[in-house]
Amino acid sequence: MSSILSVQNLNKSFGNKHVLHDVSFDLKPGHIVGLVGPNGAGKSTLMKTMLGLFNYDSGSIKIAGETVTPQKHESLSKVGALIEYPGIYPFLTGWDHLQLFADGDHQLIHIQKIISQLNMDSFIKRKAKGYSLGMKQKLGIALALVNFPELVILDEPMNGLDPEATKELRDLIISESQHGTTFLISSHILSELQRLAQDLLIIDEGRIVQQTTMHELLASQGKQTIMLMTSDDKKARQLLKKARFKTTPDPRVEVVATDDNTMPEVLRLLVEGGVDILDVTRLEGNLESSLLEVLKQSRIQKRLAEEEAE
Amino acid sequence: MWTLVRQESFKLTRRVSTWVSTAFLVGIEIVFAFLSRVYPQTFVPANMFESLYFSRPIINFYMIAATATIITMEFQYGTMKQVLYRRYSRGQVLVSKWLAIFFYTFYWYVMSTGIALLMKALLFRHTLSIHQGAGDGMSIFTRGLAISAASFVSLWLLLSVVFLLANLFRNSAAAVSVGIIGYFASNIVTQLLTILIQKWDWAKWNPVTMTLYPSMLSHPGYYQPLLRMQGWQMLLGNVIYIAIFLGIGYYVFNKRNV
Repeated sequence: MSSILSVQNLNKSFGNKHVLHDVSFDLKPGHIVGLVGPNGAGKSTLMKTMLGLFNYDSGSIKIAGETVTPQKHESLSKVGALIEYPGIYPFLTGWDHLQLFADGDHQLIHIQKIISQLNMDSFIKRKAKGYSLGMKQKLGIALALVNFPELVILDEPMNGLDPEATKELRDLIISESQHGTTFLISSHILSELQRLAQDLLIIDEGRIVQQTTMHELLASQGKQTIMLMTSDDKKARQLLKKARFKTTPDPRVEVVATDDNTMPEVLRLLVEGGVDILDVTRLEGNLESSLLEVLKQSRIQKRLAEEEAE
Repeated sequence: MWTLVRQESFKLTRRVSTWVSTAFLVGIEIVFAFLSRVYPQTFVPANMFESLYFSRPIINFYMIAATATIITMEFQYGTMKQVLYRRYSRGQVLVSKWLAIFFYTFYWYVMSTGIALLMKALLFRHTLSIHQGAGDGMSIFTRGLAISAASFVSLWLLLSVVFLLANLFRNSAAAVSVGIIGYFASNIVTQLLTILIQKWDWAKWNPVTMTLYPSMLSHPGYYQPLLRMQGWQMLLGNVIYIAIFLGIGYYVFNKRNV
């Protein structure tokens, strides 16, 4: 499967300040990818550079195989984006905005579809100067999606959205990704990102410190575990150990889930081994603590490397 | 490219100020046409027709403001990013704004000329013939058109500077101020300019001299010896300066981080 977006050895400086260091990653079609990192890590700079808004010092950015630079970026026809905050002309209505930015055939159908998907009918014909923060945010997202692009880059898309709108957006992102659209989403609302993203790019101090899947990250931090209550915990532990499942030192029976197959395999093993299962709980991991741990480890390694170099 | 020009024009047509200023200009032309009819000694009908009933200075102010805001509003409303991260190159985005402003200038001149002709037909049907000679082998009508064309060109010299400043400062106040000062500067410094030109002939090639192109067409006998320039030289100078200022603006726009 070829990449919709490929960034290789990207370096970017503002004057003497080197802000992106050899950033490399690929995004596969149809994936929802979270771009996470602390403030000032380089997320917005990376997104803006990918969108041709910033020049870069070296490296390459390719969208569907075509190079993107600030001067030449025809491949951005395959991209929709919302960066930082939605840019809105106050003298235009929401409908005017969508009409302005809608491209290609079937514009009206696309506009009507996105309005209905984001539940914007009640305000779309009003001038945007009277919009609330949430309405503006919805319009910004609608503008990113109106041409049904192959790649969507969203920077803090949940900003200002109420719970209902957040759910509508989540459902829309999942539905579009199932139709093959790739999403790169940067958000500080990690709980929401945890529910959406399949893959993660963790960035710190302008470097990609880890490219992983959500599942791997949570599992690697020992955060995704299956807790079992059985009729015979001792026997259950023995069976699990024999089958080489990773268990925790917890006195309860806890198995570290390495992938989505772990749960059915464990249940089958125990039932077939004659152990009754009284209760099963999936202890969901927490992206926030996992991320903090990754960042902590990465900084320790970086400091050690610097000390060794000295 | 034409999609971008259409989009820029769409934004202009959706602004209330476009239609309010159109109504205001029509009003001004009507008022001056009536004044010319009631007080023909003060507001000489032939001169008033040639000046398109005082609409040219107003068009200049409108266009300076429109040019500054077509760039700076994108920064002010945070829409520049959205405009740029599409398939169109930066050059295409900027050129589409130039073209939209070019057509907008054209709109004002065509509209004000149309209103002037209408006023002439309604109020001066028997008292003013626009085909009568106005000197230099031109009729009142053709002379009015020639002055409009020269005014259009020298306005674009100012607009090219306004485009550049709006690009550099992202601030419409700075760009508008310099545009308006530039508009008045030529008249204010004419005396100083003529002294300089009389001393050093090459000094006539400065951009402020070029803004006197419409004045030279209105009063060729007065300006030609003072500025030591012919009409074609003024036209050429204007075009070269417009190209230079737009070219610098193009370079800046292509290089900047947004």
